[in-house]
Amino acid sequence: MCYMILSIFFPILAGIFLLVRKEMKVRKHLLFLTGSFLVLEGILVILAISLAKGELLLLFNLTDRLPILFKIDEVSIIFSALAIVIFLCAGFFSFEYMKHEEKEKRYYGYYLIVLGVLVALCFAGNLITFYLFFELLTLSSMPLVLHNRSREAIMAGLKYLFYSLAGAYMALFGLYFIEKYGNTLTFSAGGVISAQTAEDHMVLLLGIAFVMLLGFGVKAGMFPMHAWLTAAHPAAPAPASAVLSAVIVKAGVLAIVRVVYYIFGASFLRGSWVQKVWLILTLITIFMGSMLAYREPVLKKRLAYSTISQVSYILFGLAVMDGDSVTGGFLHVLSHGFIKAALFLCAGAMIYMTGRTKVKELRGIGKEMPILLWCYTIVSLGLIGIPPTGGFISKWYLALGSLNSGISGFGLAGPIVLLVSALLTAGYLLPVTIHGFLPGEEFDGNTLERKEPSLFMLIPIIVLTVLTVAIGLFPNGIISYLSQIITKII
Amino acid sequence: MIMLVILIPVLTGVLVPLIPFKKRSHMELFLETMVILNSLLVWYLLMNRSESIFTLANFTGNLSISFKVDGMSIVFGGLVSALWPFATLYAFEYMTKEEHEKVFFMFYTMTYGVTLGISLAANLLTMYFFYELLTLVTVPLVMHTLTREAILASRKYLYYSLGGAAFAFIGLIFVIIYGSTTNFVLGGVLDLQKIGDRTDILLLIYVIAFMGFGVKAAICPFNSWLPDAGVAPTPVTALLHAVAVVKSGAFAIIRLTYYSFGTEFLKGTWAQNVVMAIVMFTIVYGCSRAVKETHIKRRLAYSTISNLSYILFGVTLMTPLGMVGALSHLIFHAVMKISSFFCAGAIMHQTDRHYVHELDGMGYKMPAVFGVFTVSALALMGVPGLAGFVSKWNLASAAVDNGNCLAYGGIACLLISALLTAIYMLTIVVRAFFPGKDFDAGSLEGVKDPNWKMLLPLFVFTFFIILFGLRSAPVVEFLSDVAAGIY
Amino acid sequence: MDLVQNFPAVSILLCLFAGIISSGLKEKAARYVNTVLIATVMFLNACTLGYVLHTGEAFVYVMGKFPAPWGNEIRVGVLECFMALFFCIIMLLSLLGGRKKLADEVEEGKTFLYYVLMNLLLSSLLALVYTNDLFTAYVFVEINTIAACGLIMIRQNGRTIEAAARYMIMSLLGSGMLLMGICMLYDLTGHLLMSNIKEQVAILSASGEYRIPLLVTIALMSVGLAIKSALFPFHAWLPDAYGYSTVSSAAVLSSLVSKGYIFLLIKIIYRVIGFDIFEASKIIDVLFVFGLMGMIFGSLSAIKENDVRRMIAYSSVAQIGYIYMGIGMGTQAGMAASVFHILSHAATKSLLFIAAIGLTDVSGGSRKFIDLTGAAYRNKWAGVTFTVGSLSMVGVPLFSGFISKLLFAQAAVQNNGKMLPALIVLGISTILNAIYFMKTVIRIYTPVEENKYECITFKDMKLYAVTLVCFIVLNVILGVSSQPIVDLIEQGLAMFS
Repeated sequence: MCYMILSIFFPILAGIFLLVRKEMKVRKHLLFLTGSFLVLEGILVILAISLAKGELLLLFNLTDRLPILFKIDEVSIIFSALAIVIFLCAGFFSFEYMKHEEKEKRYYGYYLIVLGVLVALCFAGNLITFYLFFELLTLSSMPLVLHNRSREAIMAGLKYLFYSLAGAYMALFGLYFIEKYGNTLTFSAGGVISAQTAEDHMVLLLGIAFVMLLGFGVKAGMFPMHAWLTAAHPAAPAPASAVLSAVIVKAGVLAIVRVVYYIFGASFLRGSWVQKVWLILTLITIFMGSMLAYREPVLKKRLAYSTISQVSYILFGLAVMDGDSVTGGFLHVLSHGFIKAALFLCAGAMIYMTGRTKVKELRGIGKEMPILLWCYTIVSLGLIGIPPTGGFISKWYLALGSLNSGISGFGLAGPIVLLVSALLTAGYLLPVTIHGFLPGEEFDGNTLERKEPSLFMLIPIIVLTVLTVAIGLFPNGIISYLSQIITKII
Repeated sequence: MIMLVILIPVLTGVLVPLIPFKKRSHMELFLETMVILNSLLVWYLLMNRSESIFTLANFTGNLSISFKVDGMSIVFGGLVSALWPFATLYAFEYMTKEEHEKVFFMFYTMTYGVTLGISLAANLLTMYFFYELLTLVTVPLVMHTLTREAILASRKYLYYSLGGAAFAFIGLIFVIIYGSTTNFVLGGVLDLQKIGDRTDILLLIYVIAFMGFGVKAAICPFNSWLPDAGVAPTPVTALLHAVAVVKSGAFAIIRLTYYSFGTEFLKGTWAQNVVMAIVMFTIVYGCSRAVKETHIKRRLAYSTISNLSYILFGVTLMTPLGMVGALSHLIFHAVMKISSFFCAGAIMHQTDRHYVHELDGMGYKMPAVFGVFTVSALALMGVPGLAGFVSKWNLASAAVDNGNCLAYGGIACLLISALLTAIYMLTIVVRAFFPGKDFDAGSLEGVKDPNWKMLLPLFVFTFFIILFGLRSAPVVEFLSDVAAGIY
Repeated sequence: MDLVQNFPAVSILLCLFAGIISSGLKEKAARYVNTVLIATVMFLNACTLGYVLHTGEAFVYVMGKFPAPWGNEIRVGVLECFMALFFCIIMLLSLLGGRKKLADEVEEGKTFLYYVLMNLLLSSLLALVYTNDLFTAYVFVEINTIAACGLIMIRQNGRTIEAAARYMIMSLLGSGMLLMGICMLYDLTGHLLMSNIKEQVAILSASGEYRIPLLVTIALMSVGLAIKSALFPFHAWLPDAYGYSTVSSAAVLSSLVSKGYIFLLIKIIYRVIGFDIFEASKIIDVLFVFGLMGMIFGSLSAIKENDVRRMIAYSSVAQIGYIYMGIGMGTQAGMAASVFHILSHAATKSLLFIAAIGLTDVSGGSRKFIDLTGAAYRNKWAGVTFTVGSLSMVGVPLFSGFISKLLFAQAAVQNNGKMLPALIVLGISTILNAIYFMKTVIRIYTPVEENKYECITFKDMKLYAVTLVCFIVLNVILGVSSQPIVDLIEQGLAMFS
């Protein structure tokens, strides 16, 4: 139990400690401190999820009816594991990357706080706790976005803040009603709304569910409130973008999982208009994100659009509400997390080493950093969904679930959109590889020399690449683990 | 005894210009002692309250000036008496840069007594009396700087307030005629037999009186005096125009709605819908104006307008739960807003900067002030764990419980307003802590946090914002008792 | 017959007599006589009031030996006595407060005339209050008019002469209409004594004969008196007359003369026409509407005004509107409210005039707002008094204005048809009052950078300051312990019929 508290509050306190203490003279001390904090946190989280699973921790009561409650279940474990892995990788990556940015101490301080808040979010046992940390997540991750303090970054940071808060408030709107009609805010698999209440207040509750979906969907970049994502993610330093795109966006997914499967319950929403509208929204988002990414010349922005599209894959899986599709969704949470983190880190490494940001400018980059580009290529293939990577498995399950579900129209439309989007994904990711390795005849490659990034940068990327492939090669363990969740919530 | 707590501040105020103080610190000591003494007295009075009504004088007929301590008095009187000593302390430091201190402190202290008069009034007439007095004693405070702007603002303030009172007066008349008594009784005093078929007229009068008292609570369209009155010295803006005066308006409306007309009579009628719609509009309107405003104090004033209507929204729900929500926001908003106003005052005092765009990078120069400001900003937004969340929660759950569709819309308004609050408060915070790249740190040479007289109130308020956020249960329980009529 | 019963008649005769004597006296002696006279009359009326209250019923005092319907009668009830007493108080205070100014404004050697006029005015007012005979009333109306004209004109400058001429024309028009009304009534009923006429009118209206002539009569008399008391829209003469005459005159004119006419109208309503018949006629609605309009337009004109005296004068138009609104309500409560407002307005308006003169005196005699800046610091007593008067006008509790507002509103609530317009106009007019009075108060309390004018302290103006304090006390008494007075008014109105 104490691990649970520690794993939540240790990084937060450590972050605050970094923020308030004086500027350190030797940069290495800062790095060492941060690194050890991160590793320690990693150990704590592992201990917490292995030892404290299923325990209920009541921290205190906000008001009579609003307890701050933590509980670790299977979903928490998946999301917190993802978070810690990516935070470790991106953290070590930033030790090198952040050299060329100012105010590193502040960056690491907020980085740690965000980690703590994320872990808390994963462990949250009821909706109010979740909401509390959801808001804190927005507030503490905003400094990461506007870190370099250019006008653009500050505007992006504010945009991020206001969109997220708007989403959070829409969710809060629902919270008030759930408290009354569900009589509790505690998550329980299968929902808390009793059949009688559901019947009596059908219209109202469906409306509420929809508002909450939209609200939490903001964080997940779901159409129509996705505009912040493409502004905020590219504006942040690359490791922060990686974290934002790979993990923090997933907080929105986690929120939707909690609301749909642990508050309203799949049976309540299945077949309702909410499900249909939601499906349409996700499909629009998938398609639109890919299209926009395809047209975008700046690599980091392209990746951000890609995030919009890919996260909606997950949401699509959740919206179908079929066992297989949900499995696919969860798998995609993991694989997209690893892939997108790796991609952003690659992009960061390229920017760091060469200062070039646009796709066009990256010609011949394979000559300069072959290892990096190979990693990039492998994970790109994963995102497109080519075996033997994780992306393939997750998309397989998504399509399977969608076809099985028997929702008229969508059963077929889903896979088609997925397929089209996969093509587009190939279209926007692979040009970097192609131009990188095959710059074309007219390109003068002689000036290029080999300058692979340092190991601090390279190792995290390689680790993530390996993880991506590993999911693809050995999915069975994870799938069987996921089936435990599926049986409870479907 | 009740008269004493009203008279002490008034007399103290009158004495300030009369006593020839040798040093300024003597005056400070005298004032602070008297104010604290009075606050202690008030608390003693509220703790050991007596059920009986104390009548001072009789007007015509059954109208009298009389006082009584009931639940609402405890809430408002307790709030005011808790805040006043701190605000006075803050004012000592702030006023070092202003002129005519003695006149200022005279009226400032007198206002204390008058506000207590409002909170302790036992019937509508007494409240009305002190309500008018409040306007009169605060006008000199608004025109304190005697600039043209200040005089225009004070005139506007006066016209609005007196005009509002004139319409509230009509409500008073109706309660006198159609009520069994003018004393405050939870649940209302209207005599249904006397009313007969005149329900609609009475509802109309309720709306008129609501708007009349609403002028002080700055409901739209009668709100423009409040931002203008911000020309007053900050202690005034903070304490009076965020707490005492405007909350008196809200307080008066609660008295009118719950204790005079009675919710039984009003609930579910068109009058309820009308006032609720007005209040909802004000919530959103105030916030959006605040977003547009670049003067810090005016921005906070618009924020006050919106937040006051939160309170009124709770009132217009006309359920005990709604009253709990209203009262909790009445208390919590007071603490939050006074804290943010004091921060603004501290900034103006230390640097003489008045506009939001002048605040770049100040967060590192005045960490304490901006730290406090950030906490109050987050609280106003309604981040869980801080006071604002609790009161919003109470309001919203009351609205959900109410089951009225308009009330659901009200929740939406609350949330839109919360978002706008985030916009106008956090842009200040972001500016202060994350100035743009082109920011020149040299321009802030010599800027530092103010001294302890200003900081102590700030820290105390911050402490309470967090305390109420984490442990609101005792307060809310007490308020529920008040709303249930136990007190 | 008790001795006391002679007092009202004696006091009227005393006034006439004093007026005659004063015309042969020097200024100082005339002033002395006047003061003593008012004090004496006050005492006499106070005794009468006590007597009437004690016996509990009105008495009729026959002048000379001829009984009704030929003789001339005085009727004394609670309300009459009280009114007379109150008028004396106000007149005394107004004269005391304006005494110093009088010496500056009235030509040397003519001051004694001023007191002669005042004595005559008092006699006519008392007569208006007490008389039971319509024709006597008319005669004293005329005396009143002439005395008032003299009071306006005695300050010799072009403005006052013009004002007096205007006042004269309008007043004579009013009296003419009143006279025609009286003639027609005499024609219809064959009587001039009020009580006799009332009997006849009741018979006439019961039989349904002469419906239209009766209506015209009522209209003529109401309108005639309305013109004389400056009801909107017949108020054009008022601002000049009150604004430029010497201050005591303005105070007396605004608080007593016009009130005397209104009181006469109330008397006619109750004692000549009969309350029910009057209420049934449409005239009452006309009065009501004009009253409301007066409340609004008077205040609007006052807001526009840049001269403090004229502003106060316009405020009178608004206040008279209040009174007519109360009369127009057509209920006992409305009437009581009107009578109370006669008192409270008389007390407040004379206070304002007297206080305003103190303020203008320390501003180089200028009455423009810009020059009044900071005047309250130069003459603190006048400043405070003016503030009190303003607050009373705005209707802040503790002061008399609040009670009249309260009574008006309560009366309005009891009348279904006229409730909403009355209440709303009451609210609006309060706001308007607040605007111009509070503007002035803020103005006089705004300090000026350099003081052009000298300050005045208590030593320089003992009498003036004492007068001001008396005014404030009077105002607060009316505001705080209004219950006995309201009871008195109700008792008096009950005695009327």
